[in-house]
Amino acid sequence: MTQASSSAPKKMITDVFVEGARKGWNIGAMSTIPNVMMAFIIIKALNVTGALTALGALFQPLMVLVGLPGEGAAVLMGAIMSMGGAVGIVMGLFSEGILTGEHIAILAPAIYLMGSTIQYAGRILGVIGTRGSLYPILFGICIANGFMAMFVMNLLV
Amino acid sequence: MSATDDQKVTIGNYIALAFAVAFFSGLLQSNEWYGVFDFTTLNGTFGSIAGGMFRGTGGDGARDGFLFALTLVPTCMFALGMINVLEHFGALKAARKLLSPLLRPLMGLPGSSGLALIGSLQNTDTGAGLTKNLMEDGELTEKESEIFTAFQFSGGALIVNFFSSGAVLFTLTNADGSMAVPTSIGLTVGVMFIFKIIGANILRLILKAQDKKVNAQAKVA
Repeated sequence: MTQASSSAPKKMITDVFVEGARKGWNIGAMSTIPNVMMAFIIIKALNVTGALTALGALFQPLMVLVGLPGEGAAVLMGAIMSMGGAVGIVMGLFSEGILTGEHIAILAPAIYLMGSTIQYAGRILGVIGTRGSLYPILFGICIANGFMAMFVMNLLV
Repeated sequence: MSATDDQKVTIGNYIALAFAVAFFSGLLQSNEWYGVFDFTTLNGTFGSIAGGMFRGTGGDGARDGFLFALTLVPTCMFALGMINVLEHFGALKAARKLLSPLLRPLMGLPGSSGLALIGSLQNTDTGAGLTKNLMEDGELTEKESEIFTAFQFSGGALIVNFFSSGAVLFTLTNADGSMAVPTSIGLTVGVMFIFKIIGANILRLILKAQDKKVNAQAKVA
């Protein structure tokens, strides 16, 4: 990408910005909006059925170790499917008053460190041709990274 | 062509990188004049409509999700616009130059992985493709590629993913209008980057332990 931009005729800096902003628009329209909307629907469904409270109670003992309410587990589960979706879940729980700004600071790095791994197993491990026996270890490292980051963020905020 | 020194890195590139670090770190967040060099300050806030927020209050489900997601789009566009500009000025080239000599001590990887590493921060497919090429060219051994994969797999395409969805978390406000998240974008990116490196080293240790075990078994046999 950099090579292409340096060899092309001189672009106005504003054009370069607009080109990036257009990428942002495409991500926003094609990925963020559908993902966040889906996350809000999931939160609504979990709330209506009472599953969110149950999930919160179930994961409370684990999440309390990193300074989060049990419902924070919903964010991490969502993250494994999609980083953008997990951000939507965070927003939904923030709106409901279940997560505070401190909780979000703790969760933010973990969402990305363990995020989209289901998808990336094909796009990274599959493409590079990683040995199948390493898959569980690599998934484990992502989850461990997420928990270690939450632990550190809990100390920092 | 070596993957590390195919392009000259100029002082301007380093300035662009330093600017990128300062711009997203939150250090200059302020309504004073120097706030012009801060992402969150320039990202601004939504105004209120008849005393409420554009999104309204008390909504839920798909409709609330849609309106809320719409409020995320400007931040996403602004962040990727700025990243494109910083990339244009060679900030990532400078980052690669600075990182390459650190790869061996940090993760046991050759400096030639620098381009793939920077590529992987922007796009998972770029990172994976370049890594595959390095293996085919004999630049990476199998073990090195596995360690490198652990780095890429946790926090894949970190920069683009984080700035297109995570950065908006830092613009959330409490009911009283104060910033909700008590930390900066810069600190969060730093923590993620450190744990990506730690994750790679965990695999490095596991592979070393596995090797020892195999060698010990071979000796016994």
